[in-house]
Amino acid sequence: MKTTRFISIALALALSASLFTGCSNSSSSSGSSTGSQGIKEEIVIAQNSDAKSLDLQASNDGGSLNVNAQIYDTLVVKNADGTFSPHLAKSWEQVSDLVWQFKLEEGVKFHNGEELKASDVKFTFERGLTSTISYMLDFIDSVDVVDEYTFNLNLKFPYAPILSNLSYTSTGILNEKAVTEAGEDYGQNPIGTGAYMFSNWKAGDSIELVAFEDYFKGAAPTKKLKYRSIPENTSRSIALETGEVDIAYDIDPVDKETIRSNDQLVLIEAPSLQVDYVGFNMQKEPFTDVRVRQAINYAIDREGIISAVLLGGGEVATTPISPKVTMSNPDIVGYPRDVEKAKELLKEAGYENGFQTTIWTNDNSVRTRIAQIVQANLKEIGIDVAIETLEWSSYLDRTSNGEHDMFILGWTATTGDPDGAMYVLFHGSSSATAGNKFFYSNDEVSELLDLGRAETDDAKRQEYYYKAQELVVEDAPLAALYYANDCAGISAKVDGFVLSPSKSHKLYGVTCAI
Amino acid sequence: MYKYIIKRLALLLPVLIGVSFIVFTIMYFTPGDPAQIILGENATEEALANLREEMGLNDSFFVQYSRFIINAVQGDFGRSYQSNRVVFDEIFSRFPATLQLAGIGVLLSVLIGIPVGVISATKQYSFFDNTTMVFALIGVSMPNFWQGLMLIMLFSVWLGILPSGGYGDWTYFILPAITLGTSSAGSIARMTRSSMLEVIRQDYIRTARAKGVLEKNVVYKHALKNALIPIITVVGLQFGYLLGGAVLTETVFSWPGIGRLLVDSIKQKDTPMVQGLVVFIAVTFSIVNLCIDILYSYVDPRIKSQYK
Repeated sequence: MKTTRFISIALALALSASLFTGCSNSSSSSGSSTGSQGIKEEIVIAQNSDAKSLDLQASNDGGSLNVNAQIYDTLVVKNADGTFSPHLAKSWEQVSDLVWQFKLEEGVKFHNGEELKASDVKFTFERGLTSTISYMLDFIDSVDVVDEYTFNLNLKFPYAPILSNLSYTSTGILNEKAVTEAGEDYGQNPIGTGAYMFSNWKAGDSIELVAFEDYFKGAAPTKKLKYRSIPENTSRSIALETGEVDIAYDIDPVDKETIRSNDQLVLIEAPSLQVDYVGFNMQKEPFTDVRVRQAINYAIDREGIISAVLLGGGEVATTPISPKVTMSNPDIVGYPRDVEKAKELLKEAGYENGFQTTIWTNDNSVRTRIAQIVQANLKEIGIDVAIETLEWSSYLDRTSNGEHDMFILGWTATTGDPDGAMYVLFHGSSSATAGNKFFYSNDEVSELLDLGRAETDDAKRQEYYYKAQELVVEDAPLAALYYANDCAGISAKVDGFVLSPSKSHKLYGVTCAI
Repeated sequence: MYKYIIKRLALLLPVLIGVSFIVFTIMYFTPGDPAQIILGENATEEALANLREEMGLNDSFFVQYSRFIINAVQGDFGRSYQSNRVVFDEIFSRFPATLQLAGIGVLLSVLIGIPVGVISATKQYSFFDNTTMVFALIGVSMPNFWQGLMLIMLFSVWLGILPSGGYGDWTYFILPAITLGTSSAGSIARMTRSSMLEVIRQDYIRTARAKGVLEKNVVYKHALKNALIPIITVVGLQFGYLLGGAVLTETVFSWPGIGRLLVDSIKQKDTPMVQGLVVFIAVTFSIVNLCIDILYSYVDPRIKSQYK
């Protein structure tokens, strides 16, 4: 009797298991599929979020950028040494302070078969000026099409970092016809000139791309890319360990050691363009007093934060610009930890007995842990800090309104140029919404940033930016904490992968052995 | 009966209006600027102001809510601030994953929970009863998040026989379904046991036994059928709850369900998506409840006469 019951339960389970097979319309992991030259046909990549939109100009999040970097091409590309190489644009010249002329490669095809023309560039930039990425293009006044493959960019003001901006993924070139035809649904039907074409998107799960055989630099050796969205850090590392994915981005500090100790995997760590900082609201007492801001700078144990929170995955910040950004000033010492000096400064400012304040952070585990360390550090100099954790949208909104005392944020100078690293944060005209949540304004700094933006002579530019950094560090609208490393785990069989400091990793040419 | 169903469905309308009003109010009064979410952190003040005007965000609360309701009754919940996709396209593209996981999870929990509960009740205080009730308690108490990770460690990392996460063929369903199924199975087993214990002490069970009815029939035909009402309620509630998305399980297993979508949308203040999801979840929950009520009448015909 018991045996019969057991069998009936087992049968029921088997039946339900067989039902599972009918539940899904997708195929299993294609990790075993192979290409013709001993390499896998498909590389699977894990990232911490799904793309928001594959309309290049409607999104600026990491999940979208990583996919868009494969679908779209930019006019120029930035090399590791900071120089620029031709890409969609085969040549360019600065005709005058306000006019740049570009010549396009001929015969470049979009994924829909259309040929790249100067009119597409004009369409792209004009559309971009009213989009999410307008801040990347707002130096452009107008675009003149000279002939089919030549166009002039007319600038609003002399703008030195133009090539840096034009090499950034978000300023890639769209096809006018494809965008117009798809209308509001373009974000799910992207068309670019890139090495990979969009194939399939299972919202919240994965995005599949296939190699574009007519790619103007030659078809990519790996025929398919699959971007899987794995939001949980541990799950992402596990998927790498089990071989379900070949590349995993944004490895959590606690998972690094597991990857390092696995000889099937390689941990790639490289300095990023990002600086993380504690900012002060300079409109509010007592942060109106520079001595208070400097005291806090001296009190913070940056090395402690790097070792405890990042487990060593970062470098102490001395200036608000990462050394990966050009013209980061290496001579600035910053604020090495000195509790006594901090106490002295507080005493001078009239806060011998400290004061009470709050530090805001969004619900990000790294930032919450930083807040706790800063809280403990400031306790040593008598400052009583309460931590408030806000969800992201209200965090941005309320810091823009100036409701905060101190806050923790990061800034990535995505183009690798000091203009992108400093202008939005420290120029007096920059709003809190954009990034100047310190409400910082120093005329000399603003002037230097204006000069640096317009100057094409690198030596002079460097002088302006070095000076601007000195002044910002002295004024201390923020306590720059560290330059975080970017981190990715890859299978030891992956070849050719380079971690991009701007966080949109190109996979053209990357292969994975079987 | 049909009248009853129509009445219940009609009652859904005020419920949905109430739900949408509450959600709209909460989203309206929580801080966060939709224009900034759409245009990003680096948007200029001018661009933000233009978009706010275009989206009617400067209008009063009641104007905005009326506009929302007028569009919603026409089935238009707008487009997501995040992805610019039509809200219900996105929900429908993700709901199958949730439905499948919830269905299989509940099926598994029923297949485990009811037999265990019945045997435990009929053999009260036996070794089987004590052991399974301890496991049931563990199943109910164990955090899904932790259980999921442990299952991944065992089956994906050490044994290497099942995928650690994602959405694909039947192998992808096993670990999340076990994670969801075991905790529900615990509740169902405990409810089945207590309900059965109550029933098997009734006079009519003694009468059945006195008449010489086979024990098997006493348990399954007389006792279980009468004990089913509270069990169905628990199963239905579990199913309804899971249809709203099991956020933790979905996160651990990278499952593209609507639970994760809802949490992400709330975090990003994606009001149209949150509205759409909450209304959708309210509808599915109400329909599941209605189905349970209808099911009662089949299990216990006495109830049918009350449905007018």
